[in-house]
Amino acid sequence: MFPRNWKSTCLAISLLALVAQASGAELLVGTASTDITPGEPVPLCGQFHLRISQGTETPVTANVLALESRESGQSADLAIMVSCDVVYIPADVLELVRQEVKKRVPDLDPKKVFLSGTHTHTAPELLAGKWVLPKEGVMTVERYQTFFAERVADAVATAWKGRAPASVSWGLSHAVVAYNRRAVYADGSARMYGPTNVPEFRGLEGYEDHDVGTLFAWNAAGKLIAVAVNVSCPSQEVESRTAINADFWHPVREALHEKYGEGVCVLGWTGSAGDQSPHLMYRKAAEERMRTLRGLTRLDEIARRVVRAVEEAYEVVKDDRHADVPLVHKVETIRLPMRLVTEAEYAEAKGEVEQAAAQIEKDPKATDRVYRRMKWYEVTVDRFEAQKTDPKPTLETELHVLRIGDAVVCTNQFELFTDFGIRIKARSKAVETFVIQLAGPGTYLPTDRAVRGGHYSAIVHSNLVGPEGGQMLVDRTVEVIDAMWEK
Amino acid sequence: MHSRRRTLILVVVGALTLVGDGASGAELLVGAATADITPEPPVVLAGMRIATTVESRCMASVLALESRDGDRVVDQAIVVSCDLCILPGIQQGFRQHVADRLPGFDVGKLFLAATHTHTSMMVYKNEYDEKDYGDAVQPKDYLPLLYERLAEAVVKAWESRSVGAVAWGLGHAVVGCNRRAVYEDGHAQMYGNPNDPEFRHIEGYEDHAVDVLCFYDHKKRLKATAITLACPAQSAPRGQVSADFWHDVRELLRKRHGEDLCVLGFCAPAGDQTPNLTFGKAGEARMQQLRGLTRTQELGRRIADAVDDVAGVIAGDVRADVPLVHLVRQVDLPARIVTEAECADAQKVCDAMDAEKAKGEAGARRWYWRVYYGMVVDRYHAQQKGDRRVYPVEVHVLRLGDVAVATNPFELYLDYGVQIQARSAAGQTILIQLASAPSSYAGYVPTPRAVEAAGYSAEVVVNMVGPEGAQVLVDRTVEAINEVWEK
Repeated sequence: MFPRNWKSTCLAISLLALVAQASGAELLVGTASTDITPGEPVPLCGQFHLRISQGTETPVTANVLALESRESGQSADLAIMVSCDVVYIPADVLELVRQEVKKRVPDLDPKKVFLSGTHTHTAPELLAGKWVLPKEGVMTVERYQTFFAERVADAVATAWKGRAPASVSWGLSHAVVAYNRRAVYADGSARMYGPTNVPEFRGLEGYEDHDVGTLFAWNAAGKLIAVAVNVSCPSQEVESRTAINADFWHPVREALHEKYGEGVCVLGWTGSAGDQSPHLMYRKAAEERMRTLRGLTRLDEIARRVVRAVEEAYEVVKDDRHADVPLVHKVETIRLPMRLVTEAEYAEAKGEVEQAAAQIEKDPKATDRVYRRMKWYEVTVDRFEAQKTDPKPTLETELHVLRIGDAVVCTNQFELFTDFGIRIKARSKAVETFVIQLAGPGTYLPTDRAVRGGHYSAIVHSNLVGPEGGQMLVDRTVEVIDAMWEK
Repeated sequence: MHSRRRTLILVVVGALTLVGDGASGAELLVGAATADITPEPPVVLAGMRIATTVESRCMASVLALESRDGDRVVDQAIVVSCDLCILPGIQQGFRQHVADRLPGFDVGKLFLAATHTHTSMMVYKNEYDEKDYGDAVQPKDYLPLLYERLAEAVVKAWESRSVGAVAWGLGHAVVGCNRRAVYEDGHAQMYGNPNDPEFRHIEGYEDHAVDVLCFYDHKKRLKATAITLACPAQSAPRGQVSADFWHDVRELLRKRHGEDLCVLGFCAPAGDQTPNLTFGKAGEARMQQLRGLTRTQELGRRIADAVDDVAGVIAGDVRADVPLVHLVRQVDLPARIVTEAECADAQKVCDAMDAEKAKGEAGARRWYWRVYYGMVVDRYHAQQKGDRRVYPVEVHVLRLGDVAVATNPFELYLDYGVQIQARSAAGQTILIQLASAPSSYAGYVPTPRAVEAAGYSAEVVVNMVGPEGAQVLVDRTVEAINEVWEK
């Protein structure tokens, strides 16, 4: 009845099955969220005048997604991505976080941890030295940095230690949220938030990217545990307020929690959006009327569009999950040529510094209004002085490229004008490309046409790196991405 | 005392009747009808291909509006949306055809607009169609059928007009893509490949607004909807008769709102736009595949969903007493001046094509271009004599409640539409291109940056009017709109 060697055959089949299972890649995912809202008044980041926070309208949070691929039981690669409701991630704060992570998870390579800011302008300041703060009653920047680093590191450790087998998918949909904020006029000049209802207005300078990229993760039981949402728009609709506020990401998270569960970790990833804003540039009356008819605030309306896009993508990709996906994470430090300061720009900056200093001397109360701007112009003065001995200065910058299945995530430290993100997306071999800006300290990185147009964000005081460096950033990012697809 | 109280009551009642949108006591009458304007194949399509099958029927949709104050006609409009590519000479011919059948209506207040579908019937006769198209339905055969079917629908809509109401709203759908890719050396190319290290940016802007007008009968039942977005209907595969994505929009909206719903599709200024993706194709294709949709179905879905997103909201703000004002203006625009070099280049093309024809090598499509290059030469010589330096156009400006509608006959680059939107005094401004066409091909109207970058649609062969004329068009349109709002 049975073959004489049936026991040997069964054993061989079982062994083969075990080997097959062990040699397949396994994806593990862990998540965590933490509240990074300070319990005391803090200086807020995002404007040129000093704002000390007066209360909290919505909490600001950091949200962590930890990924690891394992092959034959061994860790193959990993990435820990942290989305933070802050303007940017200063280099010393990133270092502080990594040191704290190292204390908590000694065997984890901290370089595989990256943070990005949603760019909300109503979050605590993270960069020391920008403000002259009251001596009492305000949390110093340094103390907030420590608080932030500890909270984020705790969350990273929680996510990492809690990682478990999971599956992922990626989706693409759309939401009209971002508007190019640079108006161009008949004389060729450009102006951030320039008026458009004037006869000299000719058009908006650049492109907008209305893709909403989504990365979903489910646990082994099939429950959604995380969604990362990539929107090429900074979250600064309520940027001039004086209370802590996560801007539109707060109502986005609230709505997604209501729909998919409180436990879902929602990461806000801002795409390349250095020339974008959620503020309307035209058609304001029609947009306001619709918002009023819906009974929504502007933040709610923006969130509604983003959430609709996430829901749309979810419905399409929820049955296209992948547990066995390549996970490759490259971390690079590259040097980009800095934008050179001209004599004229130096003279302008020096004049501004002297004028601000004189104002402060005459009226110390002017400090709140002009100190930050004075420091801003001082950087230009220092750069020009440094150019005398180093005529070709470069900026060291970190970039991350992470392949997850057919999708790729790539980061940069800048407020990167949208055109650069489009260049990356257009040339990337991935089926879907997520570009995350402000995974570092900024500054704006403008295009050639923006430099020609001038005005804030495209002038030398706003830029450490110019279009030449931007193209190098694009080229290197694309090279790293495409190398992952060639293997 | 008694007479003073009576006087007071009369004054109050009089004041109350004046409250509203300005046309005190005016009634809005609405009529709608749809006509199938598809002949039986084989048919010559716009672009000279011959179609032997019909993928979806091309339709004409008619909206008839009249505002009456008692027996007095305040104003009128008949607006026709046609699933056709361009309409040179068609409006003139049709007005003559239908005038006698519309007693009490000024045919000057009727305009036709094309959706720009490239898979619809050719209507513009050129010299060599008879030889090259065999037994396929050609313009000389098609126009009588078109006029008669349009006439039936227009008469039906006009004669069935009855007391109704209107609501308006603004939604969004990412449908149009700017199709001009710009490279490092400054040149632009329509459908240029952005997967190129020399690619720098997409030349111009995109506008993803969807303007929605909903028309109701006296029982507030939806009878017609006019939808406008800045994208020509040209996503369908070539070679078959198709209404492109407007067919899919109509199917979805009729399924949701009733088979009798009249759906008018209009294209806003979109001379540099296309529904075909410039980049990000793989990600979009995957989503489309997961949804099981074709490209036109996907676009139809986005538009229909945008309409329904708005319709539900504006149903709470339906207006019966709205001002209807319809201005028809003849505007002289400065024509694009052909340079000596452009004439010389065009002459060379003509000579080469003539040589091909002499050898029997020129096909219908090549001859199509011979006509246009020949026109460049003719234009140059005429302009040298002082003629053809002005390009007259007919512009319609309507006010309906707080909405302005303004037309132009061109494939107008999107930036000009943004300028009008930004400067319009109306609460919502709806712009329609390819409307009220002149007797011959009106062509594209490019921006200065497009002319500088060159590439198809920004070259003199397809521009009768250039940036100078465009600016006059913008200014005159804004003046007309704002004039109506100031009254």
